[in-house]
Amino acid sequence: MIAFDTVTKVYTVKNVRKVILDKASFLFESNRNIAIMGHNGAGKSTIMRMLSGIELPTSGVISRDEKVSWPMGFAKGFNGNMTGIENVRFVSRIYGEDPNRVLESVQEFAELGKSIDLPVTTYSSGMKARLAFGLSLAIDFESYLIDEITAVGDRRFKKKSNDALRAKIENARVIMISHSESTIREYCDSGVLVHGSKLYYYDDLEGLLADYNRFA
Amino acid sequence: MFQTLVIQARVIVALTLRETRMAFGTSFIGYLLPIFQPIFGVGFLVFLFYLIGRHPPFGESLALFFATGVLTLDVYNKSSSSLMKAFTTNKALLSYPMINFVDTLLARLTLIGATYAVVFVVFFSGLMLLDMATMPAHPERVIIAFMATLFLGFGKGSLDAVLYQMFPSWQNVDKVLSRPMYFLSGIFYVPGLLPPEAVAVLKWNPVLHCVEWARTGWYQNYPDDVFNPWYPLAFASILLLIGLFSERITRKQRGGMA
Repeated sequence: MIAFDTVTKVYTVKNVRKVILDKASFLFESNRNIAIMGHNGAGKSTIMRMLSGIELPTSGVISRDEKVSWPMGFAKGFNGNMTGIENVRFVSRIYGEDPNRVLESVQEFAELGKSIDLPVTTYSSGMKARLAFGLSLAIDFESYLIDEITAVGDRRFKKKSNDALRAKIENARVIMISHSESTIREYCDSGVLVHGSKLYYYDDLEGLLADYNRFA
Repeated sequence: MFQTLVIQARVIVALTLRETRMAFGTSFIGYLLPIFQPIFGVGFLVFLFYLIGRHPPFGESLALFFATGVLTLDVYNKSSSSLMKAFTTNKALLSYPMINFVDTLLARLTLIGATYAVVFVVFFSGLMLLDMATMPAHPERVIIAFMATLFLGFGKGSLDAVLYQMFPSWQNVDKVLSRPMYFLSGIFYVPGLLPPEAVAVLKWNPVLHCVEWARTGWYQNYPDDVFNPWYPLAFASILLLIGLFSERITRKQRGGMA
């Protein structure tokens, strides 16, 4: 589980103060696939970065006892001057996985062919996204954080991604940001609405979607 | 606790390999360059001084005397300048929760330490082969002096990294401030043989003590009146403390940009 204990997150950008969370306490239980919904700018992505641990709360404590992924679907963590292989090896090493096994699995999924030997700067955004997605699937996380599954690649690849993700969450869970009702129904069984710097939990999707449509 | 240490070690190993790749490129020449660069630098300096017929300020060998000074200053300079940019060039790494800024500092320091260990071995073995040096009188002291210099570079570099992040122009200020170090660090002279007025000023430079430290390891009867090992160590610890402390209190601002 991932626990938020009186977490406050405040941004101050050029003297504009923005409160993302105000003393929110919440338990993301391990066996639930949780949707995070809210209007644009409510702070969903920030909350997800805090869930993963790459961003710290302004005050309060976040604790996790499971292996949590980085927010998937964003390919910022690559070093452009290093090749696909080198990036994959690096990430495998920091997660203590066997670099060769991960590489094989990424190569099979992302279908980059010989491009995996080229620096990541030479990749198209689609290739980068495929590499990032393949990499996060190749490492066995207990929680997958997914920030808006956007259309990565063509229809065939989209289907492949969906199948792979579905296979993954048989043994793991997802916490997912999405505006799409159908995506949420497909993957989640409960949800959190981010509204007015607070988190509201819904044990079933109907209540979540109803309130989302009303407030956001 | 143990698990945390394992992750920390894993991260530092991975980062060091990554830094190596970024610093040297993939070619074999890429690995040789950082090793031969300081060697050529010192070699050229020694050659020049031989030409003008200068005598070594201490001992038999001009090359050995200068090398103990130049290479020590080099270790300090390289570690502080490389650590300075550790935060800004590694922003992408913050997408991975287990990596924090201090790891990137340690990785860069490891790389510099390893590179210069090779430089030292190659260079001084070369000198011995050419009969320009003998085995150090106290080899363990030479090694400890090397580590102390790295530690000083670590302290300075940590502080640099935070300052550079906050004020990018710190890089230029630091360049100006460090320029006289070549002359203030005892490279061309024996500090212990200088007039007391000069010593009174020079002894405040911690790098000079590192140079002296290395020389007391190489030479049997080096005049070490100025040398105090605790000074560079204390200096480094204080810099490191300030550096890591300000890293900690500015972490939240930086984290927001990941």
